[in-house]
Formats: sequence, C-alpha cells, structure tokens
Amino acid sequence: MNEVSMQVAGETLELHSERALYWRRERCLLVADVHLGKGAVLRRAGVSVPTGQTATDLARLAVLIDLYQPQRLIVLGDLVHGDATAQAPWLRQVGEWRRRHAAVQMTLVAGNHDRHFDARSLGFDLAGEALQLPPFTLLHAPATRADSYVLAGHVHPGIIVHDGWRRHRLPAFRFAAHCGLLPAFGTLTGLHDERVLADERIVAISPGGLIPLT
Amino acid sequence: MPTSSTTSAAWRRAEARLRAWFATLGRKPAPFQRAAWRAWADGRNGLIHAPTGTGKTLAAVGGPLLDAVLHPERGLQLLWITPLRSLATDTAQHLSTAVTAMDVPWRVLRRTGDSTSGERAKLRRGDCELLVTTPESLALLLSYPDAADRFKRLRGVVVDEWHELISSKRGTLLQLGLARLRALRPQARIWGLSATLGNLDEALATLAGDGVLIGGVAGKRIQIRTALPDPGERFPWAGHLGLQQLPRVLRSVLEVRSALVFANTRSQAELWHEALASVWMEPAQTLAIHHGSIDPKLRLATEEGLRQGTLRCVVATSSLDLGVDFSSVDRVIQIGSPKGVARLQQRAGRSGHAPGLPSKILCVPTHLLELAEIAAARRAIAAQHLEPRRPLRGGLDVLAQHLLTLALGGGFEADAAYAEIGSTRAYAQLPRAQFDAVLEYLQHGGTALAGYPEYHKLVRGDDGRFGVSSLRVARLHRLSIGTITADGSLQVRYLKGARLGAVEESFLSRLRPGDRFLFAGRHLELVRVRDMTAYVRVAPSRRGAVPRWYGGRMPLSGELSDELRRTLADADAPEAELRALAPLLALQRKGSHLPQPDEVLVERTRTREGDYLFVFPFAGRLAHEGLAAVLAYRLSRMQKADYGYAVNDYGLAITARRLPPLTDATLRELLHPWHLRSDIRASINLTELARRQFREVARVAGLVFNGYPGSAKTVHQLQVSSGLLFDVLRQHDPTHPLLWQAEREVLDQQLDYARLRQCLIRTARGKLVYVETARLSPLAFPLWVERLRGGVHADDWKSRVERMLATLEKAAGR
Repeated sequence: MNEVSMQVAGETLELHSERALYWRRERCLLVADVHLGKGAVLRRAGVSVPTGQTATDLARLAVLIDLYQPQRLIVLGDLVHGDATAQAPWLRQVGEWRRRHAAVQMTLVAGNHDRHFDARSLGFDLAGEALQLPPFTLLHAPATRADSYVLAGHVHPGIIVHDGWRRHRLPAFRFAAHCGLLPAFGTLTGLHDERVLADERIVAISPGGLIPLT
Repeated sequence: MPTSSTTSAAWRRAEARLRAWFATLGRKPAPFQRAAWRAWADGRNGLIHAPTGTGKTLAAVGGPLLDAVLHPERGLQLLWITPLRSLATDTAQHLSTAVTAMDVPWRVLRRTGDSTSGERAKLRRGDCELLVTTPESLALLLSYPDAADRFKRLRGVVVDEWHELISSKRGTLLQLGLARLRALRPQARIWGLSATLGNLDEALATLAGDGVLIGGVAGKRIQIRTALPDPGERFPWAGHLGLQQLPRVLRSVLEVRSALVFANTRSQAELWHEALASVWMEPAQTLAIHHGSIDPKLRLATEEGLRQGTLRCVVATSSLDLGVDFSSVDRVIQIGSPKGVARLQQRAGRSGHAPGLPSKILCVPTHLLELAEIAAARRAIAAQHLEPRRPLRGGLDVLAQHLLTLALGGGFEADAAYAEIGSTRAYAQLPRAQFDAVLEYLQHGGTALAGYPEYHKLVRGDDGRFGVSSLRVARLHRLSIGTITADGSLQVRYLKGARLGAVEESFLSRLRPGDRFLFAGRHLELVRVRDMTAYVRVAPSRRGAVPRWYGGRMPLSGELSDELRRTLADADAPEAELRALAPLLALQRKGSHLPQPDEVLVERTRTREGDYLFVFPFAGRLAHEGLAAVLAYRLSRMQKADYGYAVNDYGLAITARRLPPLTDATLRELLHPWHLRSDIRASINLTELARRQFREVARVAGLVFNGYPGSAKTVHQLQVSSGLLFDVLRQHDPTHPLLWQAEREVLDQQLDYARLRQCLIRTARGKLVYVETARLSPLAFPLWVERLRGGVHADDWKSRVERMLATLEKAAGR
C-alpha cells in the first residue's frame, strides 16, 4: 500500500510511501530532510558518488505535487545539504523546478544544514525555527511543546523490521505521544534507528509500500 | 645476475667470517642456511620454509651480508618486509646484530606506520642500507616521485612470514609493489620466508615467479593430548564454548609456570578469560587476554609479560600465532577444535623450547564429536598433510589503489602498466576490459561522473601518461594507503584517555549509553560514542554482552575434514579419543549410518516442529551455507514452501513444515553441480551480502576516505556510509567495477564457491546414503540445536509486505 491515513492530534494525516505526509484539511504537503546537492558536497570531498540524486528527488516531489495539488509545500529543515556556489548545476535544476511549480507556496523551517544557504533565492518563504499551524508546531529537530503536537525531521528515523529469519532496516514515520517524526525525503540520506517507545505508532517504508507496525 | 662466484676465495673468506660469528654464539650454520646464502650469491630468487625459531632470518640475511662484505655500497641495498608493525622493531634489532657482527657499515632503519619523524626524515635523505618495512609502507614509498631514485641500488627484497600475507589483499598489494620494484631494478632478488604450507610451490611462484625452494630443519616432535571426559561423565553433543571443561583447564594451567590458552574466536577468548578470572586464586595481574581487537599497547605489554615470565596464563586467539617467540611458555592449551592442521601444529610449537623435548599441546573438546577432530588432526600432522594457503585473485579495489600509487610515483602509461600488473600471479588473468574499467573509474569517477572534471583522480597528460594533478588527491591517497587492515571499527577508550582497542561498529550500534559489555577482559559501561570512539568506564557490576566480531568462526579446513571422514569411518581406530567416542558412533550406526569416506549421508527426520533434512558433506561451514541455500531453493521449486536452514562444519539441515517426498534419484538431482552459480544467485540475497562486503572494497579503492589519522574528520561527518554508496551506485552505475568486486568476494570468500562446487562434484561421483531416521542421530543433533541461519522464500518486496501485514493482523487479532 502506498498511502496510510493516521489520526494525529485530532487531525487526519495521509502518509505516502515516497516519504511525504499530506495534511488534506490545510492542503499542506510536508517533507523533511531533502538534502539537495548532497552528492555535490560529497564529490567535492573526494567521495565519487554518481550524479542524479537532485533530479530524482525533484521529480519525486513533482509527482507528489501533481498527486495532491497542495496549496503549500513545507520542508521541515535541511532543504539543501551544504554550501552551494551560484553556478552549481543542481541549483539550476532546483530553480527550474521551482518555476514550474510557481503556484505552490513553499516554506522552509530552518534546519541545521540550511544556515549556509539562503532559500529565498529559490522562492521559499523562511519560517524561522518554528512554524505554528495549530494543532501542530513544525520544527526541524524534535522537541516537546506543552501546548501543541510537534512534527519534526532531522533524525532520519529508521526501524528494523523482522520478517521470519530476515531483518530489514527501513526508513519510517514515527509518532509518539507528543512528537511525530518524518523520514528523510532525500535519496542520498542514511538512517538512524532509535529504540521504539511503548506508545509509539510506527509506519515503515519498504520498497513494496508502507507497513504500519503498530 | 650473480654477484660473486661462491667458489671464489673472497666469497669463502666472507662466509668464514659469518661462520665464525655463528661459532661465537655456540652454533653452526645449518645446511639450509648455507644453501640459501649460496643461492643468493648466484643471483636467484627463493623461498625458505622452516618452523619458527630455526634460523630463517639468518638464512635470508646471510646472503645479502656476504654480498655487502664483497661489494660495499651506500644507499638502500636490502628491503625487509614484515607483515606486522609490532614485529618490525624486533626484526630490525635482530638484523642490526647480524650487521654489526659482520662488520658491515650498514645502517638499519625501520619504516612503518609508527615510525618517528626522525626515522622518516633519515629515510627521505636515503640514509640507510637496510630498511625494515610493511607492505603498506612500501606502497607509500612507491607513491613518491623519487621512488626510482630511491631503489636504484636495491639488491634484493626479503618478505618475512609470507604465509601470513599470501591469502590476503595485503599480499596482493605486495605483489604489485614487487612488480614495480622489479621494473625499476630488474636485478633485485626476491626472497620469502614461510612456515610450512601445503602449497609451497605456489607460494614461491606467487612471490617471485621462479626460484629455489629451500627447506629448513624438520620441526619439533609434537605431542597432542586431549582432555578426555571421564567414563560415565555426561558430555554435550553440541556447543562451542566448552566452559564445562573449566576445572580441567584450570588444573592444567596451574600445574605449570606459564600457559597459553588458545580460543578460536575473540568472543570465546573473552568468555574464557572471564571464566578463568572468576576462579583465579593467583594475583589478578598474572592472567591476561590477547586478541586482535585489543589495543596494540596492551597487547605488547602482554607479550612482554609472557617473555619475562610474569604472566602465568594468557588467553589468546590467532593473534598470538604469529611471530615473536615465547620461550618461557610451558604449556599450550587449545579450546575446541583447531579447525586446521597447520594451525594446531603452529600453536603446539609455542611451547617446549627446551632442546630435544617435544612440543606439547592439550586439546579441550567442547563437544563429543570434536574428539574425532582432534584425533584426525593428530593423524594429519603425523602425515604432514598441511593446508595450502591459496593466493587471492587480484581485486579491482587493490588495483585501483595501486594505479593511483603508480600515478603519484612518476606517472604511468596504460599499456606498460597493464603489462607490469599482468606479470604478477594475482593479475595474470586480468582482462584488459576490467583494467580499463578501473582506469575509467579513477579518471572519471565512473560513467555517471564523466562530466565533472573536478572530481577526477587521474589525469591523462598530453604525452598519454596518467598522473595526478590535484595535491588533495595525492594527500588523501597517501593517507589511505594502509587502510586495508583496518575494518569498520570504533576505538574503545576510557574517559580518561587510555585506549583499550577496537570493536566493530555493528556491535556498538546496538548498545546505548549505560549498557554494559565485556571487552579486553574488563567489564565496561558505554558512556558515549563520539568521533569514531566509544568512551567507556569500568562497570560497577559484572553483566553484559560480549562483542561479536564479524566472521569470527573459521571453517573446518579441507585437509582436516578429509582426515576426519577417514578417522570417523576407521572402525578399529587405536586413539583414546575415538574409544571415548565409540558409544556415540555406535548410536549413529544403529539409528542411521556412519558415512564412509566416499559417501555422503542424508538423513530425514520428523520432529514436533516439522520435517528436517540433514546432509553431511563435511565441507566446512562456509560451503555448507551456500549449499544449504541452493538446496532450499531447489526444494522450493519442487514444492512451494518456506524453507529454513542451519549449518555447521559437518553438514547442513533444511527444515520445513512438510518436506516433499524424496528418493535417491531426486536427492541426486538436488545435489547436482549443474547450474550451481545461477542457483546461488537465485537463492541467496547476494545483494545484501555484497552490500556488507562493499565497505572494505570501497575503502581499499579510495572511494570513501576514513579520515585523517588523529583527526576527528571522518566519513561519518560527511554523512555517507558505504552502504548508501552501494545503493546509489547500483541504481546509477550498475556496471561499476567495485560492485562487481564486492560480489566476487562474496562468492569466493564468504561462500567458498570453489569448495562448494568441488563438494557437489564429489557427491555426484560418490555414493549417496539416504536414511529416514526415527529420531535425531548424533550427527544431526548439533545441527538441530544450531540457530537457523537463513532460508528461502520465493518472494519480492510486494509479497513480503503482504505477508508481514498478514502476520501483524493475526497478532493484533489475538
């Protein structure tokens, strides 16, 4: 299955297997940790990774925008991975992609990787460190807020799924009592698995679709 | 090129000087030593094989020293390559003594990863005639543009402990380095020193192409005793820790002044050390542990303690098999089967240095069937059926590293480099297309990066020669030479700073701060992990996990398993071990069948949890693992079901709720070598295995960089893992040479493809005995208790998800 609906803080959120979350009532598409241009940073550091991630990730976002027709795209931090020179080829690709989706409002909640780069040049609004959209507070790094439910990214949540004698390490959505974590959207990102809390609801993302685990 | 005739008066006078020095030590040159000296003078290459401590070093250095007496020259004359940095200091001292005694004005220097900057500066000025170094440091020397100049007076290379290098990537790297030296200096001789192997000719050919084999004195007599269970004692049929033997081992240790206890894996060593510590009545500091993951400083202290006799007992793994002599060790104890003939012989040789007395070793079986393995090992040692150590086929990752070294060391031209590399045994079969693919990867970063000139490591100049233009590439490359030995491990150190050693990341990633574990003989508590270092403190209580090291368990060697099959079938074996085993073998005969050497036994048993099929090819656990997967896959084509499997060194078990009906004919088909390679591909998740293997491949080839020594900047901070790179490459550049390399290593090393194929051919030719047993036979029982290693489902991600969802729903509904 590619989509799973989930009740969080009284709202219905639709989880998509392309590692995005759609909040239909507000027509908001949420993704976290896109890390555009990460390949270029790695190549500059001498790690020869092939090119093409930025194009792939932009295409995935375009498909999601076509599917849900959102009013607004909100990125929960780490839109770009590192410093970018103005002539970086991937930056041009992002610019073109942005122009194609000019009707969609795009907002960036600042992440730790975003401090070197001004996303306004790409037509993003800057929401600062936190964006209040009751009942939610959107952050980059997870935290707890007394008055609202937090949706965040940053940790690149993963989970180990046991299947008989096999174990698979998969990216996941994780919703605890006061804070929900989105998987990292970028293709060139790793995983970090944390212990599962008792009251957590987890949806793993496998190449064959979503697997609600709890 | 002969340097001097051994019949000349001058040579005889020089040799007399060497013999006079031997006489002052109260010794006489052995015939093999004199033979080696003469062969050197004749300008030949060679391999000297003899047991440790019989004078191999002097056999090898004598020739060059005589040469130096006759033709004194300044500048680097002799290169001495040693596999271990820790041996370099000892060796350099030993060689210096000989140099001084011969009154040769040679300066002896060592150059390893831990040389002082003073030593390095001296070396850069060329201030030495004899250089002791490691394969990695040789590669580093070759990566400087003045390499040709530095080696222009070289007369020869001696490779110490060649048997330790031959089957590893370091051995491949060394072959490439020697090919370079030979191109720079064709008259340089190449000599190797080796323990006795089953394939000495191959070892010589791999090292030097051609030359003379010189055998040393025969080894000491070896006496193998076994800690036999008492009559009537309940002794386990399975297991591999053997801790129930603790009282016997303790008694045996305390009978002598100092003892070495060998375990087969690092985890087993940690557990045995802990067990001994808990009953140790002597001062605590007289018991120590030694294995490859412990910090070199601590290891060195342990070795020093053994030498000086301050330690009464050291629990060790194969980390102590190598090099240094411990003449004060009175007794060697082997826990569990040694799994190899040569290894048992080597370990036994660690004790009894008194002249004329045999080396003694006490073998402690961990389960009953190991009694037969010990008896078989004794027979194989008597017959000197030792294991070969096969050289590796040259890897593309090592090739990539070497090409960059060539580019830095003065540049190269593609055709000439291909010819030079093809002159080594490792790369004699290398297709030009693969060579070009590696060149392409270095030049353009693989097909996917062709358009990005700034990421190119190699640059082709106008004259067609390949070189490196970026200083950063040069610096990174020199820093990453020598990372072959490192594995993906984290340093373990106390908060205060003292280093304890290294454990694998995969183990530590399962621990959280506050968790406890047993390491280097200490109970530790993890405080935090930062900058590739795990900071620990001493844990207040004794409880916790023991680190598991990847690939810890050695498979039973081919030589030992051949002997084992013969020994088990030998009805009137005289050995005490087999008498103790007789009741068990009688049970096996009664309930099933005891396989003869030319037979493969197949048993089928129904148990409460389902049907079991047991196959006993005695081919070692690696080959069995591949075979089990193939068999399960072939069964699943006969009848769709979930098949799980387990393996040990004797055989494999396949289990399913219901197995299809089988006959001799269907079994023969199932065990046939036809389509083996494609069936392996279909049955094993090769991708997943290759993904793990890729880590080492990527590091050796310089695809990922492990960080500057002593600096915190690591690949981790770049947030890229080799696993991630593997996935990306598979998607965007599936023909990348390093992906191919990773898969080949899985087939060759992890699944032991060659042995698996051989075993199936043997089965197809031999007799198959198929028995349906009412209850588990003694041979089957250990497999039944073994954890299931894997299985075969005929599925893809879609059906996996469906199955998992169904399971989850069932669990929720209950």
